[in-house]
Amino acid sequence: MAIEKNYYTIDPQGKLKCVKCGVPLVKGKAKFMYLDNGFPVELPVCPVCGFVYVPEELALGKVASVERALEDK
Amino acid sequence: MSQIQERGSTHVYKVNKISKEEMESMVARCVYEQPPFCSAACPLKLDVRAMLKAAAGGNFKKALQLYEKIAPFPLILSQGCEAPCEGKCRLGEIGDGLAIREVERAVARYGEQSRLGSVFRSAKRQKIAILGSGLFTLLLAGELEKKAYPVTVFCEESDEEAYLRTAAPFLDEEAFALELRRLKGKEIRFECSCRLDAAFYEQHKASFDVLCASDEVRAKLFPDSAPIPELMICEAERLVSGPTRGVLDAAFGAKKAALTVDRLAQKLDPRNTRGQEGPTDSLLYTDLSEAKALRRVAVPAGGYTKEQAMEEAGRCIQCHCEECLKSCAYLKHYKKHPGLLAREIYNNTQIIMGDHQLNKPMNACSLCGQCTVVCPNGFDMARVCHLARQNMVSTDKMPLAPHEFALLDMLFSNGNAFLARPQPGFASCRYVFFPGCQAAAIAPETVRAAYEDLCSRLEGGVALMLGCCGAIADWAGRTEMAQQAHELLDRELARLGDPIVIAGCPSCAKELREHGVKELRGIWDVLEEIGLPEGVHKLERPMALHDSCGARGDAATQASIRRLAASLGVRLTDTPYSGDRSPCCGYGGLTAYANREVAGEMTEQCLERSDEPYLSYCMACRDRFARQGRESRHLLELVYGTDAGAPPDISEKRWNRLTLKRSLLRELWGEESMEDKLNFELNYTAEARRMMDERMILTDDVIAVLEDFRASGEAIEDEDGLLVARRRVGNATFWVKFSRTDGGYLVHRAWSHRMNVVKREG
Ligand code: SF4
Ligand code: SF4
Ligand SMILES: [Zn+2]
Repeated sequence: MAIEKNYYTIDPQGKLKCVKCGVPLVKGKAKFMYLDNGFPVELPVCPVCGFVYVPEELALGKVASVERALEDK
Repeated sequence: MSQIQERGSTHVYKVNKISKEEMESMVARCVYEQPPFCSAACPLKLDVRAMLKAAAGGNFKKALQLYEKIAPFPLILSQGCEAPCEGKCRLGEIGDGLAIREVERAVARYGEQSRLGSVFRSAKRQKIAILGSGLFTLLLAGELEKKAYPVTVFCEESDEEAYLRTAAPFLDEEAFALELRRLKGKEIRFECSCRLDAAFYEQHKASFDVLCASDEVRAKLFPDSAPIPELMICEAERLVSGPTRGVLDAAFGAKKAALTVDRLAQKLDPRNTRGQEGPTDSLLYTDLSEAKALRRVAVPAGGYTKEQAMEEAGRCIQCHCEECLKSCAYLKHYKKHPGLLAREIYNNTQIIMGDHQLNKPMNACSLCGQCTVVCPNGFDMARVCHLARQNMVSTDKMPLAPHEFALLDMLFSNGNAFLARPQPGFASCRYVFFPGCQAAAIAPETVRAAYEDLCSRLEGGVALMLGCCGAIADWAGRTEMAQQAHELLDRELARLGDPIVIAGCPSCAKELREHGVKELRGIWDVLEEIGLPEGVHKLERPMALHDSCGARGDAATQASIRRLAASLGVRLTDTPYSGDRSPCCGYGGLTAYANREVAGEMTEQCLERSDEPYLSYCMACRDRFARQGRESRHLLELVYGTDAGAPPDISEKRWNRLTLKRSLLRELWGEESMEDKLNFELNYTAEARRMMDERMILTDDVIAVLEDFRASGEAIEDEDGLLVARRRVGNATFWVKFSRTDGGYLVHRAWSHRMNVVKREG
């Protein structure tokens, strides 16, 4: 089986909590999708309700630059 | 809530709005790539400008390398050339033209000879023979040696020294010695003391691929041959030869002959692919206004010293056309002349698969038309960029991100914030006031004062229309959306009884005129006609007038504004680049949305022209200057004694439009509008507000997130105990970091991204 590539990984290390479910977020599988492209990533996710967190640094950094690259395709 | 469909990345390629030919003819208007006048006059195409630059900097080695490209024997050419370049030097129009030939002599003397004949050069196979002597044969041998052909010269002289003497009798002794050394250093084989007659020719003919001859030898061998001067060949005899007159003509003849030899050696027709040969007329434009009228450095008997040559070469003004780059911050930013940039942008629109690297520059032009005015040939960069945008939209390759905020803003102006009403008490009106979306957003009180004034002083009723003229969509290249805006305005104008439009903004006036609104006047025209309102304050102060790019080419409007300003007591200080040459504030063409950096540079460039407070007649200009910290007023603020104050942020701009509409509806038409009241208290830290403005996040977006949070309870809590909630609105996901307060929330931070994020199974 091919090893799946993750474009980005953030481990919340127990520092974030899902307000609704009252449990800590864990490192979980998520996917960014934009203009018919998809990227597997690992982000803080609530193990109960599946809330995926995109921190500010990630949104303004990596995510923004990938967006720009895809927009100019 | 309005939404615009995001494009997919795998759409089919559709129509092309502009042909390659059309683009090339547009590109050709830029004369930047034209040679300077000196080089154009030189049949050998010496890069005079570059050579002079190197010499002026004392780099004689480089200068000589440039000179040797056209002169295999630099001292011969520089001592004997007739120098037609000098007569064309533009400096000759104001003082002395450059002593180009004298500098060349110095370069030939002081520059180190470059070692072209290096051992690594692989020689060509085809063998060339040159029969006879004289300057043409010497220079031809030099040209062919440079092209790496094995050359043999057959001459009647007894040795190379005698041969050189015949070729260049005019050389002084020093130069002769140097050129003899140069000749001996070249890989040219000599067969001396030959009798160049018919028998000799027949005997050697077969051993060479191409044969060349001096004109004398040619005449002896083939008295009836007819050399073609453009090709230097007697075609019937396949002999490369022809008459030349003077040193420069011999060099030019040798250059043409060498090209012919090249073609023949490759078994090609010597007529084909020769490019432009000989002197031309340059179309380059040179601004001489700052050039100094100087005398040339006097030439001592033995020629210039190094220092003198450097001084003379330093007088060269390096003719370049930079009119547009001097005045346009956008072109300056990309450091490219428009001819080149336009070609790259056009090519960008032709990419079907792959990166569109020119999207940014294409969207950074403010479409203001300044270049067309300052360019001596009327180059129209705005048209290039505008067409390219339309092209990208029509082929579905245009990213939505750079313009989406502005487009949504337009939909808001023509949706929730739109208003069209006849003056109270009138069923249909003679006029309608159209202040423009930016005026309502930035200076709502000024709009109100102007409307009330017009109602009170004009006969026949004045309707009011608050909305966007469609320029936003037009600038974005979204023709269909612009069309929709025009249709809305047409419908509403018809409903009001097709009144005469009184535009508050020159850009709206331009857009509406271009889209068929026939009867249209600027509010400035009306004010001039009916006079200033009563009790207007006279100001007695100096201000710098910034002409709006919407009024470019509109002398009447520019004059009217100046008269109004004068009647208000304003003393206008003169700035360079005013009137038709005025730069854009950075708002035009949506530069402010698509490329903030360039927009900022545009604003700076406008403000550099004067230290006085700025007076403008477009609200967007007023806003951008104020944001930059300059005291900035719109003409209507002075007329009505209003002060729009500190520039509003993006949310306040929307709020201002909505509030203006609601309060006017209530006060003038007695209509209450539904206000969406929040049922919680919402506050922002100053940091959050600043961040939202910069990141183009509206309070409406924040409210949407928080309402969602209140309904779903979904959020996370970070280490500091702050909550973070999110919501997808349109094509973006908004995140809000907040804390709870007594009656609601305090927003600390906000961010967004366009990519959609979902959980993935497995
Ligand atoms: S002003 Fe600019 S566009 Fe016009 S010819 Fe000169 S370099 Fe080209
Ligand atoms: S100023 Fe310099 S570049 Fe211009 S024509 Fe004279 S020598 Fe040539
Ligand atoms: Zn949860």
